[in-house]
Amino acid sequence: MSKDGSAFVFPALLQEVVKWARKSSLWPMPFGTSCCGIEMMSTLSSTYDLSRFGAEVVRFSPRQADMLIVAGTITTKMGPVLRTIYDQMLEPKWVIAMGACSSSGGIFDTYSVLQGIDEIMPVDVYVPGCPPIPEGLIHSIIHLQKIIDGDMQRRPAEKPTHEDAMNAMNYRKNVDISEIQSSYVVTKDGVAPNAFTKRS
Amino acid sequence: MGNSFVKDAEFLKRQQDANTRLQEKYLVLPLGEGRKLELDKLDEPIFWAKSADDAVMLVKSFKVDPNFKIDFLSDITAYDNTDKKDGPKRFVLVYQLYSTTTQVRIRIKTLIDLNEEANTLVGEWDGANWLEREIFDLYGIKFKGHPNLRRIMMDERFTGHPLRKEYPMKQREPFSDNVRLHLGAHSLPGQK
Amino acid sequence: MGKDVAANLQNLGDFYNPNVLINLGPSHPAMHGTLRVMCRVNGETIEDATCEIGYLHRGIEKLGEEKTYHQWIVYTDRLNYCSALNNNIAYCMAVENLMQIAVTERCMWVRMMLMELARITDHIICVAINALDMGAMTVFWLLYQWREEAYTMIESICGMRLTTSASRIGGMSHDLPDDFIPRMKKYVEEFPKALEEIEGLLTGNRIWIDRTRGVGVLSREEALRFSVTGPCLRASGVDVDLRRDRPYYFYNDVKFDVAIGSNGDVYDRYLIRIEEMRQSARIIKQCMDKLPNGPIWVEDRRVRIPEKADVYSKMEVMIHHFKFFMEGIDVPKGEAYTCVEGPNGELGFYIVSRGGPKAWRMRVKSPSFMLFQSFEHCIKGDKIPDAVAALGSVNIIAGELDR
Repeated sequence: MSKDGSAFVFPALLQEVVKWARKSSLWPMPFGTSCCGIEMMSTLSSTYDLSRFGAEVVRFSPRQADMLIVAGTITTKMGPVLRTIYDQMLEPKWVIAMGACSSSGGIFDTYSVLQGIDEIMPVDVYVPGCPPIPEGLIHSIIHLQKIIDGDMQRRPAEKPTHEDAMNAMNYRKNVDISEIQSSYVVTKDGVAPNAFTKRS
Repeated sequence: MGNSFVKDAEFLKRQQDANTRLQEKYLVLPLGEGRKLELDKLDEPIFWAKSADDAVMLVKSFKVDPNFKIDFLSDITAYDNTDKKDGPKRFVLVYQLYSTTTQVRIRIKTLIDLNEEANTLVGEWDGANWLEREIFDLYGIKFKGHPNLRRIMMDERFTGHPLRKEYPMKQREPFSDNVRLHLGAHSLPGQK
Repeated sequence: MGKDVAANLQNLGDFYNPNVLINLGPSHPAMHGTLRVMCRVNGETIEDATCEIGYLHRGIEKLGEEKTYHQWIVYTDRLNYCSALNNNIAYCMAVENLMQIAVTERCMWVRMMLMELARITDHIICVAINALDMGAMTVFWLLYQWREEAYTMIESICGMRLTTSASRIGGMSHDLPDDFIPRMKKYVEEFPKALEEIEGLLTGNRIWIDRTRGVGVLSREEALRFSVTGPCLRASGVDVDLRRDRPYYFYNDVKFDVAIGSNGDVYDRYLIRIEEMRQSARIIKQCMDKLPNGPIWVEDRRVRIPEKADVYSKMEVMIHHFKFFMEGIDVPKGEAYTCVEGPNGELGFYIVSRGGPKAWRMRVKSPSFMLFQSFEHCIKGDKIPDAVAALGSVNIIAGELDR
């Protein structure tokens, strides 16, 4: 920088500049389905401003966004819709699973709820909470920024295989009971036996 | 002993008059054969109809009866009767009716069997359309004369009726083209 | 030359095609959750519309048969998540009616106050999102500030902002903290002034009036035929308000007005919601004046959850507490349908009990279900942007719609 501020030269690796640009201008695509969507709206509004972190431009078109925030319960009817949206986003893209329902199905372990969106897509950051308070979502965006920077380990993109998808939507997993350590076991009929009965 | 509603003498009298009228006009033989009147925990009348057709006929007659002034359909729902405590048939169909002018509530219940079809109320109230579709989706009770009896909550290709007591809570159903959407161009066994 | 004219006419025929299908949703920018409206459009006019729901069907009613009555309180939050307190209280009211328990006076006043606060928060979201969909973002930012203040107050009662689970069967999870009443007094003093500000921005605004007058009209007969309840029914001119018609708790003793509209369009629904927020603030003020001191739990052995201090020191109380949460409360056989005037309409819980700790059938009568059914009717003849405006005014909460 010269004395009058007219020249402006930052020596840096191009890679670092690109990383800085990407993490400071994450354009979220909010996929808000239920209660977490309301907390996401609170995060985007003026009290817990998400645009401080660069995520101001909320683009509802997946082709213009690079971060997908899945906030809310994803049911089996909505699963293909979400996957289509994820596929429509361009690389590089990141996924935040906000809340308990999108991380693992939440309190809804029923016949129509996906037990976590990682059944159908790779996730970068999971935010716990039901719903997570806005500070939690902001913490997750900062965490994502550190991932983009390379400070934290990025979760490898394990694309689900055909077997995973068939098993995911159908709870009748062919598991070997003797391998499972926990006492809460789901049998082939899909109904959990009483935790205190002996496993045969 | 009590409940959350205000014990308004005038309202209680109106409800009592409605109950009396139900007994006098609709329980009287020969048409009243097989019908019953009970009171629920809030002292609202539960009118048991003879059959599903009788229930719809009763709904229509309550609508035109000047003593009740029923003009509002609150809810149509159903529940499973697998332990047969309400009667010999499989399901119980419940109609909740309300009058916006006299605030009288009447509940009509009827027993309905597994493969029996009920009559639709879509001609009387347009709001019954989705309510009956929901019952069809979640219980499997069909409605004769319904213009659009398809699944509403679950996917169209879902088999099984989730709210029945024997449907396991956690049993999800995969669909082959959902899976194809997830994975791209994998072909599934048995698919061309 | 003749050939070109003929070709042009044929191309123009494609413009006047009334069979173009446009799909709004299930992922759409209007932030209303997951709904889908298939419209058959002619140019930009919607000739026919069909709605598809079920994208958030989570099986809450089936969970009602599997979980005990206390465990299900958590699921009631997730029904109408914009006004979770209202759902909690309505559900606990339903179970108490089934068991024929009358809660204490203080509990009734506190519950009324919290239900009205929930109504204010729900209407804030509805008006804010409605305005946001039509481009008035300032209203969204301004109103959300008041929702944050309400959140802070709700958090001081039960520890959670949105999904509160604040009421229990027979009482409340926590009594009001000491600083709640002063904060609430300040809130109801200043909130009507904020409403004046919002009204100044929208009510006389030429653009707002043009976009909302005559849009999404639902006539009186149609509203009754579709079993619509709540602000939308009142906007269509039907004078139904369950708080006044079939009062519960102490709604008989508080003075409030009920706003009735005349046209049944989006403008009327907006005005009614603003007025209802004012009336709710008025009710809360009266509740605070009349709030008695006293216990918040009813001393009924069947439902009274013991105090923690006793649980940790006395043996019988600890066993009592244990049996409550391991086995559940014992509700006698019977059934009851309890409905309250929720912010969206008539929210009803129909509980069929065959005795025991779990319900036999837990039915939630949700107002949004009937509202969305009428929605496909009320946008016929409007244009697509009008459909978006009408969707915002009808206040569909997907959690309640699909359960």
